[in-house]
Amino acid sequence: MPWVIKYRPKKVDDVVNQEEAKSTVLTWIHSWLEGKRPTKKALLLYGPPGVGKTSLVESIAAEYGLELLELNASDYRRTQDIRKTVAVASQKKPLFKKMMIILMDEVDGLSPRSDAGGIEELMKIIPNSINPIILTANDPWKDSLRPLREYVTMVQFKQLTTNQIIAVLQNICNKEKIQCDREALKFIAEKSLGDVRGAINDLEAVAEGYGRVTFNIVSLVVKPREKNIDLWRTLNSVFYAREFWQARKAVNTSEEDYETLMAWINDNIPAKYEDPEDVFRAWDSLARASIFLKRAKSGNWFLLPYVFDLIGPGVSFARKNGQVLRNRFSYPAKIKEMAQLKSVRENREGVARTIAKRIHASKRIVKSEVLPYLFLMMKYGDINRVSKLSSYYSFTEDQLRYLAGSRVKEIISSMNREVSSVKETKSAESSKYAAKKKRRSRSK
Amino acid sequence: MGFEAELLWAEKYRPRSLKEMIDQQDIINRLTRFAEEKNMPHLLFAGPPGTGKTTAAHALAHDLYGDAYMQFMLELNASDERGIDTIREKVKEFARSKTPPEIQFKIVLLDEADNMTSDAQQALRRLMELYSGSTRFILAANYPSKIIDPIQSRCAFFRFTTIRREDIINRLKFIAENENVEYDEEALDIIYEVSEGDMRKAINILQASAYLGKVSAEVVFRVVGMARPKDVKDMIEASLKGNFIEAREILRKVMIEYGLSGEDVVKQIHRELMGSNIKISDEIRVLIADYLGEIHYRISQGSDEDIQLSAFLAWLSMIGRKVGV
Repeated sequence: MPWVIKYRPKKVDDVVNQEEAKSTVLTWIHSWLEGKRPTKKALLLYGPPGVGKTSLVESIAAEYGLELLELNASDYRRTQDIRKTVAVASQKKPLFKKMMIILMDEVDGLSPRSDAGGIEELMKIIPNSINPIILTANDPWKDSLRPLREYVTMVQFKQLTTNQIIAVLQNICNKEKIQCDREALKFIAEKSLGDVRGAINDLEAVAEGYGRVTFNIVSLVVKPREKNIDLWRTLNSVFYAREFWQARKAVNTSEEDYETLMAWINDNIPAKYEDPEDVFRAWDSLARASIFLKRAKSGNWFLLPYVFDLIGPGVSFARKNGQVLRNRFSYPAKIKEMAQLKSVRENREGVARTIAKRIHASKRIVKSEVLPYLFLMMKYGDINRVSKLSSYYSFTEDQLRYLAGSRVKEIISSMNREVSSVKETKSAESSKYAAKKKRRSRSK
Repeated sequence: MGFEAELLWAEKYRPRSLKEMIDQQDIINRLTRFAEEKNMPHLLFAGPPGTGKTTAAHALAHDLYGDAYMQFMLELNASDERGIDTIREKVKEFARSKTPPEIQFKIVLLDEADNMTSDAQQALRRLMELYSGSTRFILAANYPSKIIDPIQSRCAFFRFTTIRREDIINRLKFIAENENVEYDEEALDIIYEVSEGDMRKAINILQASAYLGKVSAEVVFRVVGMARPKDVKDMIEASLKGNFIEAREILRKVMIEYGLSGEDVVKQIHRELMGSNIKISDEIRVLIADYLGEIHYRISQGSDEDIQLSAFLAWLSMIGRKVGV
């Protein structure tokens, strides 16, 4: 039995170093078990490969005695397959067990072209499911997943540190009674870039082949997997490259598109470089790459190689003074914020549109010339005027929250008071009118 | 105060008819003649923001067609429309719609026309010719030099100037009295100084100040200080001190919360740097202007805004450390 299966976590406690994710998932499962279905019927567990996403779900199912329907990427590709399996399962009460968890691995692997409709089908199924659905992905910020993100609760799994991986490997060595050098394990752990599964596979390969795990053997045998270089590997090669060709090759062979790659480098320069001159040189190179990319994309594709030169070696050799910092790579804030702050953007555009129409100016002008004053009025202005202004422009509650922050409640209750006082005056007037009518009819 | 509606004063006190307009008297006289003769050529209104270009166009249409003039006027804004194709579709549709009684043409108002590329302007020129039988175009622009010659030569040209001090102050007084707002004369002076002859800006400052209480010099200064995204200044200062990471966080905030485009941010950086608020030597100021101009050009050519501006901030913190600001 391969070690990755043999040493897979069996109990929830065996899943290491993911406390936050663990507690989120457990709370969510508990509310299902208590019969309180959460508003979002699906979770999306995301993080680099081999950090325990699937294992956690499997161990929960085992520990709580739940049925588990596991679908691998290859099982459910097309719309019809999803209908046949997931849609049916989502409405089914398990025969012998309390509840069924539907687990779909690697949803970011669904290809928008050949697996067309898969994501849409999932979005139809999730809101009505009577069973908990759990999805996993390495890269949840992919464009193809954007619509799906609104239907799920996102749970982040952290990349494991080298030391955490060493501990896992050491534990296996002890159980298998194999002589393992600390240095060798460290080497494997570093090469794995946070992927425990990959590290265990490497360990097993060395142990099986040589009967012992020493630094000399390991440093010859274990190589970073070049096939399918992923982002972490690309970034590592860029920031740690020793030769021009290493950095260039990393960029050239990466499967990510250039913009994604640049967004990643853009956000990780400060995590890796510290010396102001190094930082500037790296950014200058990236900025120049961005110009070349723009030129290449407007029809001059022969300029693309220069983009590679600048984002790979250009960034690598920007470092002259300082060290490469040990910080881990992080998701580009821009991509994250675009998803999370989508609502800010919507409210901002909504308010700008309303006002632009009324004062006959462009949204651009409204945003730069009017919004700054409107923020002030809404946040600190006389409540009476503010609530009337809000009713006049019919701002929604979300828009009010965007404009006035925590004052939103005060404004809304003042708006309500106004409405009811208008009603009162109206009803007072109408009762006066009715009284008059009565008198008149009496006098007749 | 009763149940009178409350709206942005820039909307509430916008003149509806040419007669109500103040300032720009030469222009108003010529436009009034068009309204009386019920005929006009294509018009190009050029001038700084808040000087009455859009208002004059609406007032002219109002005086031509009456209160329900909007059915005979198509209002487009070059910076909000998605390219010349949507403009073409909308104009085509509009040209087909019903014509006003007595008057032979309808009006297309294209605001911020100087934000169109010269290719789009060429296409616009063809549109103007194609529909010249049934429509007249009014183009409004801040910078007439950005309008291509063939369009300029087809339009009657009107240059709007910044609004005079007394006109702005009188208007502010009128509004304040109408709104039962207490004010100091001195405060209105300050509003005029800050607004630089931009009526919309002056009215916005007055309204925001009035919402905070009596319009005094102190309140006006507070409003102006708070409304100008001071963040840009903080961002520059943080970089100059070498706090690059902090500077970059402010950049994110400015671009997301206020929704400023990369170009807007560059312009604000420029404004801050050329003012006296930031203490640096003039030599450095020139150096920064040079690099900022380069960044501005790159962004205008479609390069990634975030990357370019981050590069600028990284450069600024490097310079800041070197010269010890």
